[in-house]
Amino acid sequence: MIQLQALLAAAVVVIVAAGLLGLVTRQARGRALGLQAGPAGRAHILYFSGEGCTVCRTHQEPALGRLDGVPVRKVDALAERDLAQRFRVFTLPTTVVVDASGRARHVNYGYAPLSKLEAQLANL
Amino acid sequence: MTQLVDHSALRTNQAGIIATVLVALAASTAFWPAVWLIPLLAVILLAGTVRPELALFKQLYFQVLRPRGIVRPRPVEDSPTAHNFAQGMGGVVLAIASLLLPLAAPVGLALAVLVAFLAFVNLAFGFCAGCQIYYLLGRQGLIRT
Repeated sequence: MIQLQALLAAAVVVIVAAGLLGLVTRQARGRALGLQAGPAGRAHILYFSGEGCTVCRTHQEPALGRLDGVPVRKVDALAERDLAQRFRVFTLPTTVVVDASGRARHVNYGYAPLSKLEAQLANL
Repeated sequence: MTQLVDHSALRTNQAGIIATVLVALAASTAFWPAVWLIPLLAVILLAGTVRPELALFKQLYFQVLRPRGIVRPRPVEDSPTAHNFAQGMGGVVLAIASLLLPLAAPVGLALAVLVAFLAFVNLAFGFCAGCQIYYLLGRQGLIRT
């Protein structure tokens, strides 16, 4: 039956794409972790966003706004391409948790909820 | 440039895409010509990308659903360009699917199902795959954002 074949083919594509996305995410995170994100100082969050990123506005920014006393540096990923490429930003939003020595300790590709960011900051 | 974008219009559009593909898929099991809803959907999406007033599902929202209070407006400060790009991309993929229907029907239908799946992911989880591609192309300097 043609319809069943189509559904199976689509399911295979979705599964393969999800696997590839997972692989890309792991590789990007592996290369970005430990990079110097800025001068030593306070722990902070690098937040990569962009004009066309709806989830940034509707989900990520409210979550970042509820972080208690943690500075957030918002970066326009298209305006600061070098920085975005350095941290392998392939999806928006991306958040990088930077420790007091200026090193990237956690990288989140895609929306990172408040609880995840809080746990990562507590784990510096 | 950001402006107020009514996300209920976008969601109506996504729901329209999902419903049309599902109807085409289900109805074609009994009546094969129902698959021609797919090229029709491609035309609707591409026309709506070029001229927003031709976007059938969005017009259904603006002219019928919103005035009658069936769907509530949800204005969000947003950039309409990325969403328009995503809609156009869906239209292009559906156009390719339409061309494949007479030659390799399962492949054509599978492409249409993938477009409906991505519309569902956007509707349910707010993840817009077309918008991410728009960002990646912009980052590579392949399109002007």
